[in-house]
Amino acid sequence: MKYHIVQLGCQMNISDGERVQKVLDQLGFEVTDREEDANLLGVIACSVRQKGIDKVYSRIQKWNKWKNKKNLITFVTGCVLPADREKFLKTFDLVFPMSELPSLPDMIYQYGVVSPAGMQTLDKGLAEMEKPVLKTRNEAAFRVSEAQLPVDKKQILHPERGIEEFWHITPKYGSGFEAYIPIQNGCNKFCTYCAVPYTRGREVSRPSGEILNELHHLVENGYKSITLLGQNVNSYGLDKKGDEISFAQLLRMIGEYGNKSQKKFWLYFTSPHPRDMSDEVIEVISQYDCLAKQIHLPIQSGDDEMLVHMNRKHTVEQYRHIVSTIRRLIPQATLFTDIIVGFTGETDAQVENTRKAIAEFKYNMAYIAQYSPRPGAASSRWVDDIPKDEKKKRYHMLTDELMKHSFEYNKRLIGKTVDVLVRGHDRKAGFLSGLTEGKIIVRFPSDDESLIGEFVKVKLHSAATFSTEGEKVNAQASIPVN
Amino acid sequence: MNNNYHKILGLRELTSSTFVLEIERRDMKFEPGQHILLGRAGDIHHREYSIYSGVEDKALEVLVKEVEDGEVSKTLKHLKPGDEVEVQGPLGFFTLEDEFLQTGNRFLFIASGTGISPFHSMVRSFPNLNYKVVHGIRHASDAYEKSDYASIRYVACTSRDDQGDFNGRLTSFLQQNEVEPDTHCFLCGNFEMIRDAMNVLEEKGIPQDHLHAEVYF
Ligand SMILES: Cc1cc2nc3c(=O)[nH]c(=O)nc-3n(C[C@H](O)[C@H](O)[C@H](O)COP(=O)(O)OP(=O)(O)OC[C@H]3O[C@@H](n4cnc5c(N)ncnc54)[C@H](O)[C@@H]3O)c2cc1C
Ligand code: SF4
Repeated sequence: MKYHIVQLGCQMNISDGERVQKVLDQLGFEVTDREEDANLLGVIACSVRQKGIDKVYSRIQKWNKWKNKKNLITFVTGCVLPADREKFLKTFDLVFPMSELPSLPDMIYQYGVVSPAGMQTLDKGLAEMEKPVLKTRNEAAFRVSEAQLPVDKKQILHPERGIEEFWHITPKYGSGFEAYIPIQNGCNKFCTYCAVPYTRGREVSRPSGEILNELHHLVENGYKSITLLGQNVNSYGLDKKGDEISFAQLLRMIGEYGNKSQKKFWLYFTSPHPRDMSDEVIEVISQYDCLAKQIHLPIQSGDDEMLVHMNRKHTVEQYRHIVSTIRRLIPQATLFTDIIVGFTGETDAQVENTRKAIAEFKYNMAYIAQYSPRPGAASSRWVDDIPKDEKKKRYHMLTDELMKHSFEYNKRLIGKTVDVLVRGHDRKAGFLSGLTEGKIIVRFPSDDESLIGEFVKVKLHSAATFSTEGEKVNAQASIPVN
Repeated sequence: MNNNYHKILGLRELTSSTFVLEIERRDMKFEPGQHILLGRAGDIHHREYSIYSGVEDKALEVLVKEVEDGEVSKTLKHLKPGDEVEVQGPLGFFTLEDEFLQTGNRFLFIASGTGISPFHSMVRSFPNLNYKVVHGIRHASDAYEKSDYASIRYVACTSRDDQGDFNGRLTSFLQQNEVEPDTHCFLCGNFEMIRDAMNVLEEKGIPQDHLHAEVYF
């Protein structure tokens, strides 16, 4: 039996999707890229933008039509607002928060679908039940209303419950050299433009022992780029009120392990919140080789009034302090950020302040989003008063500013030899491309696929706005630049 | 039984549209200034409400303004004693840090409408607080439970009648009065008021790190 998953949303969702795949593989299902061939069709949804939700609706309409011709089961999980989840209950066979993933085999089983492998893994009581067959749509639908599978309203409202068990599932990593480790789920910050606190619930930190085990396993198995994931990674541990180590301590333990392991890897994290970005975190990063010298620090706006309106709970001055500490302790670090342009009420003077912030902090990369109200977020109930064209204009103005600085930085790399983790073929024929420790894109001429997933040294000879180009060298020594 | 469900103990109507909801507190601990996520038990719609009661009060209270066509505030208004609500929290960072409290600092609390709620909690919780509340309201009748504040510490700025302590907008009151530069200013309510008041305070030389805000809408 085959399954097909439609994956929407951010890196956190992609990481969650790796665990869903693992559960289905263990049940004996086989993944397929062709949705037409699948018996089990799922969506890892994202409610953060209306577009994402529209995509879910269009898929399920199509799949439900297919149900007249063939037997299949549909499910939806992921980042879903309570109101959307209620609607999905009427159209999908299974609707569950990610924290309920460990029960997915039972849910499928209750639906009457059991694969041979799944049969072995289910408990005896279930296995002794009548040999299941795939139900037709109507029967299946009847069973949903009968049993109210598996989510009741309480679970809808508390997507964070049970997340600890979810973390016990080993994911089916999408890559052999890059991996993401969720360290925390949910958010308590309530930025006014963001729906995450409503879709994922409150902050829950994953036990540090589990995080370290997963990390050791990955490093032992040759993973070279590992990213700790969470909505607010640097408030890690705070929810445990003294019973868990802090984010800085977690990084230190990883750093110590990196020193001992004799294996080269780069450890990243995303996203931190400026409010919780302590000097200690920056100090620790500066002290260990394996802690990558690349920092993603969302600023969202360079204007204090906008930051209040966004409920970011930090000022530009506080942000400036963090950046100056980074520049002082880790001068080689690259700096990435997130920016929202055209937020409710943003004036020309305020967007100009954001431009000035880009100029001051000289980002290597900024993910600039034109504001669109996200259903469920507080600001979705406010007027979205900046016209689309104006948002676009502001977006281009900020992008132009960003490009100046990233190009300047990249030009300074010309002539240097950098370590690159090769990620795959470049769009330019005959070239491979990869990332430096600071996540600067590097391409070099080669068609040697055995280099993919390996570190190589590349001497850079040219630079573009968001990438660089060079030649692979075999030299042992390299100048430690990002 | 959902352990976030709390029983309604009562409802005090303060004006035709504003009321205090008295909720069973159970063992909830909070810091004055924090808010909760609140909705009817089993309802999928929840909203943020600042905690109005003090840390020593038996009940957990919120001050709610019924918003016309509002999804949640309207439903809260119809709750009866014994009904259940779902409470998540406490949440948020709009609190008085320990170091501010210990050094006997001066506090200026600036609120529009129900934005006075977190300050009510702070005043009830810290009896020796050196504070002044400047409350922007339309009519003097919107000065919710003003007897809970020492009369010399509370200023109602009324924009639609002349029965307030100051007749006019809250920002005009701030413009016309001195604010010591070392005052910690906390602002809560609608964003336009917060923005305008912050501008006035900055012009008066209050440093950024002495300005703290909680935006309701
Ligand atoms: C951190 C935080 C704390 C809050 N604390 C309180 C509180 O203590 N008391 C309280 O009454 N509200 C408070 N609010 C606002 C509250 O969460 C809801 O937005 C409000 O009750 C309206 O919800 P609704 O579902 O009835 O209306 P919706 O259907 O969501 O309509 C929202 C519209 O109502 C208007 N609105 C929102 N709040 C108010 C208000 N207080 N007065 C007048 N108009 C308003 C806005 O124009 C907004 O666009 C707080 C908001 C936040 C973010
Ligand atoms: S943007 Fe704000 S509310 Fe959303 S996940 Fe990040 S910190 Fe939390």
